[in-house]
Amino acid sequence: MKSFLSITIFFFTLISFSQTTISGKIVDEKNKPIPNANIYIYGSYDGATSNNTGDFSFATTAEGNQTLIISALSFEIKKLEIVMNKYQSQTLVLKRIATELNEVLITAGTIESGGKSRVSVLKPLDILTTAGNPGDIVSAFKTLPGTQIVGESGKLFVRGGEANETQTFIDGIRVAQPYLQTANNVPTRSTFSPLLFKGTSFSTGGYSAEYGEALSSILVMNTIDEPDLEKTDVGVMTVGLGLGNTQKWKSNSLSVNTSYINLQPYQSLLPDNIEWIKPYESIGGETVFRQKLDRGLLKFYASYTAANFDLKQDDVNYPNKLRTQNKNNNLYSNLSYKGGFGTNWNIFAGISFAKSSNKGIFDVYNYDSSENASHLKLKLTKPISDKIKTSFGTDFFYTNFSESITNFNSGFHSNILAAFSETDFLFTNNLIAKVGFRFSKNYLLDESSIAPRLALAYKLAKNQQFSMAYGTFEQAPKNDYLKYTTHLQDEKAQHYILSYEFNKDKQIFKAEVYYKSYDNLVKYDTKSPVYNSNFNNSGTGYAKGLELFWRDNKNIKNLEYWISYSYIDTKRDYQNFPKQATPSFVADHTLSLVTKYWIQDWRSQIGATYTFSSGRPYNNPNEAIFMDGKTKAYNNLSVNWAYLISPQKILFFSVTNVAGIKNVYGYNFANTPNSVGIYESQAIVPTADRFFFVGFFWTISKDKKTNQLENL
Amino acid sequence: MTKIIIAFVLFITSLVSAQGQFEQGMGKAFQLWGEGKNTEASAIFERIAAAEKTSWLPNYYVALVNTTSAFGTKDAAQIDLLLAKAQNALDIELIKNPNNAELLVVQAMINTAWIAFDPMTNGPKLSGTVMGLYGKAEAIAPENPRVIFEKAEFEIGGAKFWGTDTKPMCAQIEKAIGLFATFKPETPFSPKWGLDRAKIALKNCK
Repeated sequence: MKSFLSITIFFFTLISFSQTTISGKIVDEKNKPIPNANIYIYGSYDGATSNNTGDFSFATTAEGNQTLIISALSFEIKKLEIVMNKYQSQTLVLKRIATELNEVLITAGTIESGGKSRVSVLKPLDILTTAGNPGDIVSAFKTLPGTQIVGESGKLFVRGGEANETQTFIDGIRVAQPYLQTANNVPTRSTFSPLLFKGTSFSTGGYSAEYGEALSSILVMNTIDEPDLEKTDVGVMTVGLGLGNTQKWKSNSLSVNTSYINLQPYQSLLPDNIEWIKPYESIGGETVFRQKLDRGLLKFYASYTAANFDLKQDDVNYPNKLRTQNKNNNLYSNLSYKGGFGTNWNIFAGISFAKSSNKGIFDVYNYDSSENASHLKLKLTKPISDKIKTSFGTDFFYTNFSESITNFNSGFHSNILAAFSETDFLFTNNLIAKVGFRFSKNYLLDESSIAPRLALAYKLAKNQQFSMAYGTFEQAPKNDYLKYTTHLQDEKAQHYILSYEFNKDKQIFKAEVYYKSYDNLVKYDTKSPVYNSNFNNSGTGYAKGLELFWRDNKNIKNLEYWISYSYIDTKRDYQNFPKQATPSFVADHTLSLVTKYWIQDWRSQIGATYTFSSGRPYNNPNEAIFMDGKTKAYNNLSVNWAYLISPQKILFFSVTNVAGIKNVYGYNFANTPNSVGIYESQAIVPTADRFFFVGFFWTISKDKKTNQLENL
Repeated sequence: MTKIIIAFVLFITSLVSAQGQFEQGMGKAFQLWGEGKNTEASAIFERIAAAEKTSWLPNYYVALVNTTSAFGTKDAAQIDLLLAKAQNALDIELIKNPNNAELLVVQAMINTAWIAFDPMTNGPKLSGTVMGLYGKAEAIAPENPRVIFEKAEFEIGGAKFWGTDTKPMCAQIEKAIGLFATFKPETPFSPKWGLDRAKIALKNCK
């Protein structure tokens, strides 16, 4: 009995002696209490949850050295080494997790698509459910602020810049020829299938020092890192056929996509205003191979298109129709690796090879041109601390262009070496700066230069931020000039951008103002650039504007819509302009309204896109003032309808320019006046008033749920 | 002799109290969860998970509690955080045992929560994955009532979308209810939930 008592007493003393009370208060970096934080001694059952004032208290029998864990939603886990009998009540500060949702991000000039990023204005689906040009990956971007509607070209024209001022990159590596060849005033399309890409970033200015040889804009597209599942995609369209397949293995995967396009049946049913001798026909394919490695990912991407057409077009300078025949072969391939090494180092390395050739007849001339291009890039990134991250790298552009027109040969061979470095400074959680520069040496033009880049972002409140960007940008003159002379310099531009962004719960508002100056633009003294033109770099120009964007997926059930508005004031003295003037591809006001409405009873998504742009300038030689003409305003309403027949079958209809509005892009004038002294004119109009598209898409996969809706 | 007895008693007590601690802790967490105090319940499961590395149950419940919380939340940022927490806890156990049908069911539920949050974006992307997970779970545990029921319930969602017949899924729910009656959880704290929801789902069938 005595011994039992002593044991009991022993236990009681043991318990009462070793019981410690752990208490304190949990706050965030602004000293605000954090309720519902979980505080406990690691490996024991002892702990508590903080109350509304952030206070907590619990008793524990743990002794000696212990680890106190504090975890709370949206905060980083804190681990605190404590000695039990020395612990004193204290206030503990938790750090908010730097997620995209609360982080300060540099967004001036940048438009993201895909990914979970808060700055992402387009979802992957939008790339193709935007009524307009079905299947073209760049067409959705043409409904965003900063772009011009240049219907006769089909390319991206950004903030007063020519189409060639935008560079396209796939997985960080340049694509030398992103568009397919077309005849004069027949719109082109990009060579990429949306099936293989996720996440696209489109920058209308002020972009990173990593990207060079682009005066106005960059379009950065990334291929999918890991496909969801194995599948086969079949597409039957009024314009051709598509076939795709994805295979997955343990650490690698392969996707192949092929397409055959032939406009013959469509043309015979609904002829347009072009006299086709041989309607457009192309066969092409793309492939992505991905290999997961120990600490990185290796990707190989290749695309190939062989296309041909033969047509006759009216031309005001020729009594008979003008013939264009073309055979275009376009090959692009790139190999890239991204991964980590050492402690926190990241490496990116990539190489591309592109070969494009165009052969054919224009009027009575035979032409044959080819371009071989290559881009190599190496980039290293290292976070120096929580607040500072640096990256640096080098890249090399190689271009070999040659052309022969009825035995007259021209061409050039260019090498550009560049180095870049950029550092992010996170001053406070609300203020970030990115400072960098790009050094570039063009061996062909024998010219070197340094281009500084600077960007800042300041977060005003939880959902609002300002950001700004400044930089100088340069680009070698285009092939059309370099093939005749190399006594030229890089063209230069300076960008100043100020942007405001509001982002809350499926709603995005963005406003941006910018000023851009151009220098060293190429000028020549002939009607068009020819071998004996006198070229120089005395051109100048400017562009300034205001752009607004609003997207709302919240307020109206089943409706997603966005509105973009761009105002631009730009003039440039380049090419053979006698003075600074607004070029013909620029409209002062551009407005786009894109809507998508889901009707559950019909299992259908109905989309409509309305675009408006004010008149575009043209030069009328009958008038004394240069570039004084203005076309009438442009209006276009396009609609589409995606109907889900079954989980794996989709029917898709689209009509471009439903109302058949007669739009005029501009005017061509005769080179010489007619017998009564007047220069005759010819309107540049769309090849057809309306364009109809019907497609049937079928996905075959094991799970029977996936479909191509994401790609429509 | 006394010393030996004391040592022995101490040893036994510590064993018993450790056992008791797990039961007590889990019991307390279930009580809080039952009262709708999901955050507190999740906190206790989290503590137990840190102390009991050999049991997959605490992390399983961290994942389950936070996933069910996410279903009842509207705020986008909060859903993101809850599902991330659930996913992290589940990943710890899925790496150790990728063929645990109960864990696979919760993984499918996390993906379903993402679909419910933004059907237009996540539906086409994740529906296939969810069906794949249920398929795998069914192959491993064809008699598990939660696998049968959750799979049928997800399929009903799809059938309603497509306007197809829900009869085969309703039959599966009935089968699941039968399985609930015979299902024997391995331990007192092993998953045994689902019967109530299955009964409600069956009612909706008729």
